[in-house]
Amino acid sequence: MSVFKEHKTNADRVASDRRRHNSKIEKAIREGIHNIVADESIIGQSGKKKFRIPVRGIKEHKFVYGDNGERAGSAPGKDIQRGQKVGDNSKGKGGKPDKASNEKGEEWYDVEMTLDELAQYLFDDLELPDLQKKQLTNISNDKLKRSGYRTDGIQPRLDRKKTAIMRIKRMKASEFVPEEAEEGETFPFHEEDLRYRHFKLKQEPCTSAVIFFVMDVSGSMTQDKKFLARSFCFLMYQFIRTKYENVEVVFVTHDMEGRIVDEESFFTVATSGGTCASTGLQVVNETIESRFHPSSWNIYVFHNSDGDNFDSDNGDYLKEHAEIVDSAQLFGYVELEPDRSFDYGDIKLSRLLAPRAGGKTRCVKICDKSDVWGAFKEILGGVKETP
Amino acid sequence: MDYRLDELGDWDDRIVEVAKKFGLDWFDIEYELIDSTSMIGAMAFHGMPVHFNHWSYGKSYERTRHSYDAGVEGLPYELIINANPSLAYLMRENPLYLQVLIMAHCVGHSDFFKNNRQFRDTRPDTIIGRSRAAKKRIQSYVENVHVGIDKVEEVIDSCHAVQFQGLQPGWIRRTRKEIISAHIDEKERDSEHTADLDFDKNPLEPDYDILGFIAENAKLPEWKKDIIEVCRDEGQYFWPQIQTKVMNEGWASYWHYTILHELNLPTELHVPFIKSHNQVIRPHVGGLNPYHIGFEMFRRIKERHGIEECFLAREVHRDTSFIHQYLTREDCEDLGLFTFSEKSSGAVTIDDISDDDGWKHVRDILVRNVGGGSIPVIFVTDVSKANTLSLEHEHDGRDLLSSEALETVKHVAALWGNPVSLQSIVNGKTHYINV
Repeated sequence: MSVFKEHKTNADRVASDRRRHNSKIEKAIREGIHNIVADESIIGQSGKKKFRIPVRGIKEHKFVYGDNGERAGSAPGKDIQRGQKVGDNSKGKGGKPDKASNEKGEEWYDVEMTLDELAQYLFDDLELPDLQKKQLTNISNDKLKRSGYRTDGIQPRLDRKKTAIMRIKRMKASEFVPEEAEEGETFPFHEEDLRYRHFKLKQEPCTSAVIFFVMDVSGSMTQDKKFLARSFCFLMYQFIRTKYENVEVVFVTHDMEGRIVDEESFFTVATSGGTCASTGLQVVNETIESRFHPSSWNIYVFHNSDGDNFDSDNGDYLKEHAEIVDSAQLFGYVELEPDRSFDYGDIKLSRLLAPRAGGKTRCVKICDKSDVWGAFKEILGGVKETP
Repeated sequence: MDYRLDELGDWDDRIVEVAKKFGLDWFDIEYELIDSTSMIGAMAFHGMPVHFNHWSYGKSYERTRHSYDAGVEGLPYELIINANPSLAYLMRENPLYLQVLIMAHCVGHSDFFKNNRQFRDTRPDTIIGRSRAAKKRIQSYVENVHVGIDKVEEVIDSCHAVQFQGLQPGWIRRTRKEIISAHIDEKERDSEHTADLDFDKNPLEPDYDILGFIAENAKLPEWKKDIIEVCRDEGQYFWPQIQTKVMNEGWASYWHYTILHELNLPTELHVPFIKSHNQVIRPHVGGLNPYHIGFEMFRRIKERHGIEECFLAREVHRDTSFIHQYLTREDCEDLGLFTFSEKSSGAVTIDDISDDDGWKHVRDILVRNVGGGSIPVIFVTDVSKANTLSLEHEHDGRDLLSSEALETVKHVAALWGNPVSLQSIVNGKTHYINV
C-alpha cells in the first residue's frame, strides 16, 4: 500500500539558490560585457528596447575527456557504414552555439535586458578614476539670472515700473498730493527713485552634448575595421548618453571629402578613393560653428580611421584638429588596425597626433574585438588596462 | 486532473498486487502530487525534500525551467528518490493512464534501489534525515561571521568538481591500518613474493577517493572538513545511480510495461499507455537512450534465460558488467550500435559497426561510455615532503580535456591548501598540470 499526498507548496525552495546564481550571472555580464556589445545596432534605440544578450554560463568544472575518444551511438534500422560522416565540428568552433548548450558543456544564457539596464551594467561599476571630474565635467554655461534691484546700473536695465513705484512712495512720504498741487508744481523723478534690474552671473551646468563620430570610409577601411569602430561607437554613445539629458549625434564620413551622413551609411558606405582626413574634421568644425555653440554644448569628437592619410593633408589635419580641441571636451582618435603585423612605415595619423596626445586628445588603437573595452576606458579615463 | 486521488489508490492496489505476484520487492512508496514549478524545484535538488543551498541548484533550476518553457524538453513524468520509504513525485497535470504507468515504473525503481548490490551502502533509511542535518549545519556555517556564504560556496564549488571521483567499481578503500595488517599477513604467508611496503608513503596504495583523502589528510577547519564530508557522502549516495542508469531505467521500464499488461486496462487507457511507453523507450538516433537499451536488454534476457536471470542481473550487476555479460552480437545489430569519433579534420565519422568484425569493439566502447565511464579515473599517489598532493590520471586511450583538467586541479588545490600536481597523458606524452 502506497501513500498519496499533495505536495506542500514550497515551489520556491530554490529561490535563494537562484538569487545567488543570478548574482553570479550578473557578475559575468559585467565582466564579459565588451564581448556582448559588439553586435548591437548603435543609436536611435530607445532605452526601453529589449535586447537578448548571450552570457556565458557559470561553469562548473570537472575532469572530462576531450574529443579524441571513441564514443558509442545507436541508429536501429538505419543503414550505416564505417567511415560514414555523421557530424562536422570543423566549423563554428569557439563561437556562440545556436543551442542553449553545446557538447562540451559550454553554456549560454540569453539574458534579456533593456539598453538602459545594459548601460547600467556597463558603466556603474566602471572604475575610472576622476572620469567624471576630468573629462565629463559639464562645461558651464554662464547665465544671467535676475537678482532683485539696485540703485545703480546701466540705462538699458532701468526698471520703469519699479522706479515709478519708488517715486510714488517718496511722494506719499512727502505728503505731496498732485490734486491739491498748485499750478506748475510737479513732483519730478529724482535720482534716488531710479531702480535698475540687477543680474547675477550664475553658472549653470550645460546638459546637452553632441557627439561627432567621424569615420574614414576610404578604400583601405575594410568591413572588419568598421565593425570594430561600430562597437566602439556603441559604447561611447551609451556612456555619454548616461551623463547628459540631451545627446545629439552627428555622423561624418570622409574619404577625399567630408560629409554628414545617417547612421546606416556611416557604417556601410565604402568608397574606393584615397583619404584626406582633414575634410572630415573640417565638416565637424563647420557644424560646430553653425549648430553647436561650445557655450551650450558639450562636444565630443571621435575619429575612427585606419591611420592612412595623404601626406599632403597632414598639415591641414593638424590645423583642423587644433580648432576642434579648442571647443571640444574630448577628441578621441581611434586607430583601427586588425592586421597588427603590417607596418609599412607610413606616417599614421596616430603618430601625427602623438605629440598632442594627453589632455583633451586621446589616441587609442583597436586591433580586435577584445581591445574595444580597453580602448574605451583608455579614452575616457586615461587608464591603461593591464592585460 | 481527470481523476481523483482515491482513484490513484485503487490503481496502486492493483499494481501492488501484480508486482508482488511477479516477485518484486520494494520499499514502501510515498507519492506526492506536484505541479510543474515545484517539480523543477524538486529536480534541482535531485528530488531531495530538504537539501543544503548552493547557487548551482539555482542554475540547474533555471536551465530546466528554460528548456521546459521553450518546449525543448519536457519534464520527467516522475522523480523517485532512493529512500526508505521511497519518495516519488507525480506531476499533477499528468493524465490518469500516465500516473498509472509511472506508479508501476516507480515500483521498478524502488525494487532496484532495494535489491541492487551497488546500493547497499547508500543507507536509504537515513538519507532524508542526513540531508536535513547537512543543510542545517551548512546553513550555520553560512551564518557564522567567521565563515560566511562566499567561503562556503567556494568549498562546495570545489567539492562538486571532484564529487564523483574515486568510487571505483570493485575498489574498496582501506585504512592505513588495514593495508598494513593485510601486508603483514601476506608477508607471513609468502615473504618472498611480497613486495616491501614503504611505510613512509602516504597513501600506502593508490587512493581513488580524493575528497575522502583530503578530509583525512589536509589541515582543515572543522566546518570545511564537514562540508567536504557532506559532499563526499552525497557523491557516494548518487554514484550507484550513475553506475546503473541503463539497468535501472531498463528495469523500471520493463516492469511498467509488464505490470500494465497484466492490469487489463480499458482501451481508452491502454492506447495512450502504449503510445507513452513507445515514446519513453524510443531510440535516440545518433545517441544512446538508456531506457531503450535497458528495456531491450531485460526483454531479451527474459526471452533467452527466463525471468530468474533478470532478477539475478538486477541484483549483482552494474551497467558495465551487465552490458559486457548480456549484450550479444544480435542485440548490437538490432540496436544499431556503432562507434564514432571526431577526426583531426573536425569531421565526425563512424569507426565501427555491429557486424561480425566490429560488434565486440562496439560493445566495449559502449561499456566505456555507460555507468559513469565518462568520468575519468583519477587517484592520489603521493604527498611529498613539501605537502604537494600528487594525482594521476588512469589513461585508457582518452585524453583529458586540459582546460577543464586545469580548472579542476585548481579546485583540488583549493581544498588541499597546498600545491597539487596531476600527471596524465596528452597526445601520447606524459603531461603534468601543477597548481
